[in-house]
Order: sequence, then structure tokens, then C-alpha cells
Amino acid sequence: MSSRQRLRAWIAAPVLALFAAILGWGFARAPAFGDFHGAYGDLLNRIAVPQRHTSNVVTAIVFDYRGFDTMGEEFILFASVVGVVLLLRAVREPATGQDDPVASDAIRLFGIIMVAVILVFGLWLAAFGLVTPGGGFQGGVAIAGGIVLVFLASGYRAWRTFGRERLLDPFEGLGAASYAAVGLAALIAGAPFLHNLLGLGVAGTLRSGGSMTLLNWAVAVEVAAANLVLYTEFLESYLVPHLPRR
Amino acid sequence: MSWALPLPVVVPLIAAAVLVATGAILPRRVQDAIGIAAAATATGFALLILAASERHDVLHWFGGWHPHAGLALGISFTADPLGAGMAALACGLDLLVLVYSWTYMRRQSQTFDVLILALGGAMAGFALTGDIFNMFVWFELMGVSAYALAGFMVEELGPLQGAINFAVTNTVGAYMVLMGIALLYARTDALNLAQIGRVLGHRPADRLVIVAFALIVTGLMVRAAIVPFHFWLADAHAASPAPVCALLSGAMVELGIFFIARVYWTAFAAPLHAHASGVRDVLVGLGVATALIGALMCLLQRQLKRLLAYSTISQAGTMLAGIALLDPRSLAGVANLVLAHGLLKGGLFLLCGVILVELRHIDELRVYGAGRRLPWAGVLWLLGTLGLVGLPPLGVFLAQQLLYEGGREHGFGWLAVVGAVASGVCAGAMLRAGARIFLGWGAREDELLSPEPDEHAPERDVSGRPLGIVAGIAIVLGLAASVVPGIEARTELAAERFADTSAYRAAVLHGAAHGDAAAHVSFSLLGVDTASALYGLGALAIAAATAAFGLWHRRLPPRILSAGARTLGPPVTVIRLAHSGIVGDYLLWLSGGALAVAAIWALTL
Repeated sequence: MSSRQRLRAWIAAPVLALFAAILGWGFARAPAFGDFHGAYGDLLNRIAVPQRHTSNVVTAIVFDYRGFDTMGEEFILFASVVGVVLLLRAVREPATGQDDPVASDAIRLFGIIMVAVILVFGLWLAAFGLVTPGGGFQGGVAIAGGIVLVFLASGYRAWRTFGRERLLDPFEGLGAASYAAVGLAALIAGAPFLHNLLGLGVAGTLRSGGSMTLLNWAVAVEVAAANLVLYTEFLESYLVPHLPRR
Repeated sequence: MSWALPLPVVVPLIAAAVLVATGAILPRRVQDAIGIAAAATATGFALLILAASERHDVLHWFGGWHPHAGLALGISFTADPLGAGMAALACGLDLLVLVYSWTYMRRQSQTFDVLILALGGAMAGFALTGDIFNMFVWFELMGVSAYALAGFMVEELGPLQGAINFAVTNTVGAYMVLMGIALLYARTDALNLAQIGRVLGHRPADRLVIVAFALIVTGLMVRAAIVPFHFWLADAHAASPAPVCALLSGAMVELGIFFIARVYWTAFAAPLHAHASGVRDVLVGLGVATALIGALMCLLQRQLKRLLAYSTISQAGTMLAGIALLDPRSLAGVANLVLAHGLLKGGLFLLCGVILVELRHIDELRVYGAGRRLPWAGVLWLLGTLGLVGLPPLGVFLAQQLLYEGGREHGFGWLAVVGAVASGVCAGAMLRAGARIFLGWGAREDELLSPEPDEHAPERDVSGRPLGIVAGIAIVLGLAASVVPGIEARTELAAERFADTSAYRAAVLHGAAHGDAAAHVSFSLLGVDTASALYGLGALAIAAATAAFGLWHRRLPPRILSAGARTLGPPVTVIRLAHSGIVGDYLLWLSGGALAVAAIWALTL
């Protein structure tokens, strides 16, 4: 630690301690833990199933009551990934093209089985997001996690089948665009933006939620593609140049 | 017009996503055209919304979730003239930047267009939203796109450092805003600004409300580059390509100021009513400090983008002080300042790009006299400077006049003097740089100015002239902002509506028409009174004196010079050293500033 950093730490300690004290002084007036009686949450708990036919109330909030926030958040992920790709690609050493394949047959076999298991799990999480806990965000992350297992179980060359920008960019863009397009469709139909145009279906089944189903899948595609783009970039910029040359 | 409200946000965002999806298929030129068309559409709709909001507030409830019994279920956009005007300014600058980048960023990745569109959509959403969490979403989208844009020229180490300083400090600021929102939700069970305001208005502010207010305002002041939260701005501007600077300085910083006003009048005005003077004193103090420190640092720069960046900081201080008066008249002044400054400063940054393209450097000493072959660029530089100093009746003149009148009503008449000195010194630095570059006046060397790394110029096949036309459009619009017929009456009316908390609440929660549909708004021309004209000319005189000092200070008698160096040298050196470029230092300043603001309000409110 340089002397400048040490000096900074000595000044920062009392400043942050005092700031924390003021925060604590203010936060003390917040409702006690587990003692929050908000009418908003209670109301949504009561009306979400009759109004939206979705047994997962969180999904109804995320994709309907506050669906516009989710659109913004989806674009935060989108812009972050675009930014990360931009910054990493510019400073990256060229890939060596070397592969470091996994040698153990046991790991390869188990890994490939797990790819299938996790993919199915991710698709299930996304598909049943309106019925049981889960949804496009969670399912998309799981799907991307399943695909990245291809790299862990098999090696870089097999991974490159999926981890290519030309393959992933269209999914990332279309995932983000289609969320906004579903909202826009309502506007063109003369309803408010993101208004639920399709029938609400039967609560507790896969045929529930109307437009929310489309939004849910748009998010799943966007999140899966965005995560895969990130994995690809990290692998390319970190792992590939460091692979042992043979 | 309710249907149009989402469009300034949604159209650029969809376009950004489509550009990424079609990156491998469509040629670069088609992609650029899609981006420009999207930004133009967004600007058109923002202007339509502005026109419609003149009569009464325009609302859009997303998903059709209108409030029931005053309880907001969903998210609303609420367009009043100031918010819609802010959105139109952001969209318009976004459009100019994309047109400019058609040639300026031709060799760069199409990611540039994607991020500029995302930033534009986010800024429009931020200006239009009536929901505090939705505000945070746009605040973050604005942030992540701007951080990446600041690091766009990442091959050089400087940009990366500037972008990192920008991202780290602003992320801490965003976290403070989020904590404040959480506190407000814990107390009010609401995210809609009008509903928060109604619940908070039931009783005077207690410590939870005060801490929430301090957190939200401090977080927004980081984005608004208020001293001591301002350090990131100059680094980010030095790093960013010129068109990105135009957006950051012309709209993004101002949005931070805008939302301080929005959140105060919608949510906090009633509970803090008894403590208005405590709020006012702290914010006026910070605003004045920002205006003066920004002006001093501006004077010490020789890299043009840094010079303009410190002038933005100085102007942001004036804007904050104007809002802090908590008076509709000064608020109208701030609105005019945001408009005129946004266009002028945006245009001047675009002009920096022209200078970089034509003269290969943007360091005023390195291109000394080289601008003689670009007389038109020199004229634009001069016009932009005169607009920023408020030469009667152009540019920021109307804004300064309204700010002055508003200040006088609250016993802050001296604020006008501070404003004149600050804008005069900044304009003086700009005149000095312009005289060196375009006329070859003054000394070739200047030991008072901070040497900074120079910027890597774009390829030589970019022509400066079309770029100069885009910059000129922005500068001329900025000059004309004060003299648009009826703008004074309109902004004053709009500011009164903006500050009318209860009417806003009734409009949002109960659908009452907010605004006087019968109000007759004349198209009268701006009246220039003598005091304001003298004030504008005084600022101009300060600018001329500052520029002359900058150019010819070596000719002063040595006795005066050494006396000046002895008395002014140490404090100036301290302030200069504080701008260290080290992100750890910046965070320390940020923590100290946040502590000071929160402690003063905790003790006095």
C-alpha cells in the first residue's frame, strides 16, 4: 500500500463511520424487520390471480403491473453486454487457436449429460415462470449456464460451435427488440403500451398470462444470449491467450 | 397525445436492438441510416409531446394500470412542458450526434450507434417518468451506455482511466439513490412520485425522510457534477470522443439537476416545507462553490475538451443554485439555461471534433495559429462563447435575467454577481483559446496552463466542413433560444406548473386536468431591461479581461506577477492537485461531501 493509499484509508475510516452513523440514525425509523405492512403488496397479492390469471404473482408484477421497468432493465443488460464486448475486444490479444481438450472420458460423458439436464431445467424454469417460481430471467441464466458446460466438459473447440458472435448477436438483439415490440403492438392496437392484448387463459396452466408469455420468452432469449456473449468474451480474452502452447 | 409518450424512449431502444441483431447482415451505412431515422422520429414525437403538454399534463399509464382510489398500481409517464422539453433536448442532441457521427465515427464499430441510441432513449425516459423506481432504471441505462461510450477509444490508456473514474463514482451515486428510494418505499409504500408526495405530506419530515432526501439528492448531484462530486466529469470528457461529450455535457449532466427539482417538488416540498431555507442554503452553497471552482479550473486548461468540461461544471453549479432558490421564476431561468447551454455546449464540443479533424490536435498551444485557415470555425467558436456568456439578448441571456430576478426576491441578489463572474471567467478561457488557435494572438507558451495528454485524431479522410455544419446548427439554435417569441412567458408558466405540487398530484392520481387550458400565452418578444443588459455586458467585460490576461499576462510588470503568484498560487495549486485523476481520491471526496450534506441536514432540518 502506497503512502497515498494509507493516508486515504486513515481519512476515509472516520468519514465513512460518521456517514454510516447518520444512515443508521435515519434507517432506525424504517419498519422493523418482517414488520412491513404495505397496502401495495397486499393488494397485488389479492388481485393478481383474478386480474391476470398468473399464479406466480411476482411474474405478474415483473411483466405486467411494472412491465415497463423490466423493459428498461432488459436494456440495461443489453447495453452493459454491448459495452463489455466493446471494451474487451479492443484490448484483446488475438486468439491463438490452440485447444486444450478435456482428456477424461468420465468428465466428458458426465458433462454432456449435465448439459442436457441443465438445458431442460432452464427451459422448464422459463416456461413455467407464470405458474411457479421462475421466469425468463432465471431460465435464461440457467440455459446459458448449461451451454457453458460444453466448454468445461469438452473443450474450447466444441464450445466455439455455440460461442460465436455471429450466432449470438441476432438472438441478443431480437430478444431485446421483441420485448419492446410486444409493448408497441399494444400501442398500435390503440391500447396503452404493454397492455395485455392476448387472452389471459386459465390460471395455473401454461396457457395463462397472455402477452406476458411472449415477454417472458423474449427475456429468456435476451438473458441467455447476453450471458453467452459475456462467457464468450471472457473466454476469448482471458483463457485463450493463456492456453499452453504444444 | 397520451399514446405518444412511450415513443421517444421505445423507438431508439428498438432501433438499438435491431442494429445489434442485424449487425452481420446490413451494411454499415444502412445501419447508420436506421439509427438516424429512429433518433429523428424520437425527436419529432418529443416535440409533439412538448406542444401537447403546453395546455395540460399528458399522462401515460403503462399496461393501462390507471390508479384506483389514488393508489398507483403501475408506472406512469407524466409530461409537463419542462420534462417534455428536457426529453426533446436530449432526443434532439442525440439526433445531431448521430448525424455528426455519420462521418466522424465512420471507421469505428457500429456499437457506437447502438450505445448512443440506448443513451438517448434512457435520457428521454428519465425526463418523462413519474415513477421514482422507473427513474432509477433510466438512470442506470443512461449510466451503463455512457460509461461504455466514454471508454470507446479504449486502445489508448487514458480513455480507460477516464471511463473507469466515471463508472465507479457514478455507480456509488446510483447506489445512494437506490438506498434513498428503498427508504421512501419503506415509509410510503409507493413508488409513484405523486403518491409518495401525498403520503409524505401528511406530516413534517422525520429523520428517515431527511436521510432519504439527502441520499437521493447526493446521488443525483454525482451525476450532475456538483462540487465535490464533480471530479469524474473532466476525466470522462477528456476520454470521450467529441460527439459523446456533446451528449454528456449537453443533456446528461442537466438531467441530474432536473430530477433534483422534480423529486423536490413532487415528493419533498410538503414535508420539508418548514425547512425550505435549510435546503436552500446547502444547495445554494454547493452551487456557488461549483460555479466558482469550475470556472477556476476552466481557466487553467489548455486541452479544449477539458476546458469546456470545466465550463459545464461551472454552469451546472449555476443551475443547482437556481433550483435551490425553490422559486418558480428561477426555475424558469434554469430551464432556459439548460436549453441554451445544452445546445451551445453541445455545438462547441462538436466543434472540438472539427478542430481535431482539421488541425490534428485539440491542445490550444499545439495548434497555436493553425486555425487561421479555418475562419468559419473561429466564427462559430466565438458565437458559441458569446452565447454562453449571455451577450444581450442571445444565448443564456434570458436564463440569467430570470435567475437574477428570482434570486433578488429571496435576498440572493448577489448570486447574479457570482453567476456573472463564473460565466465570464469560463467564457474568457474560451476566448483566449479561440484567439490563440484562430488568430495566433498572445504568447506561444503558457506556464499557467495544465499540460494534458493529447487526443489521437481520427483518420485523415474525414472532412471537417460537414461536421462544422452540424456544430453550427446546434450553436445557432442555442444562440436563438433566448429570443424565440413567447419563450419567456411559456417557461415561466411551465415552471409555475412544475412547482405546483398539489395540482401535479391531482393530475396524476385523480386524472384532473393540470394546467390552465384557457391560459393565453402570447408570442411576445423578450423584453430586455437595463439591469439585465448591464449584467450581461459586465460578464462579457470579465470575459474579455480574462482572455486578455491569459494571452498577454507575461507583459504585466514583474512585481504584480510575483505578488499575484505569492497570494493566489498556493490555493490554486491545492485545488489543481485535488483533481488528481485517481479514483480513490474521488471516492474520498464523494464520501466526505455526502457526509457533509447529510450531517448538515440531519442537524438543521
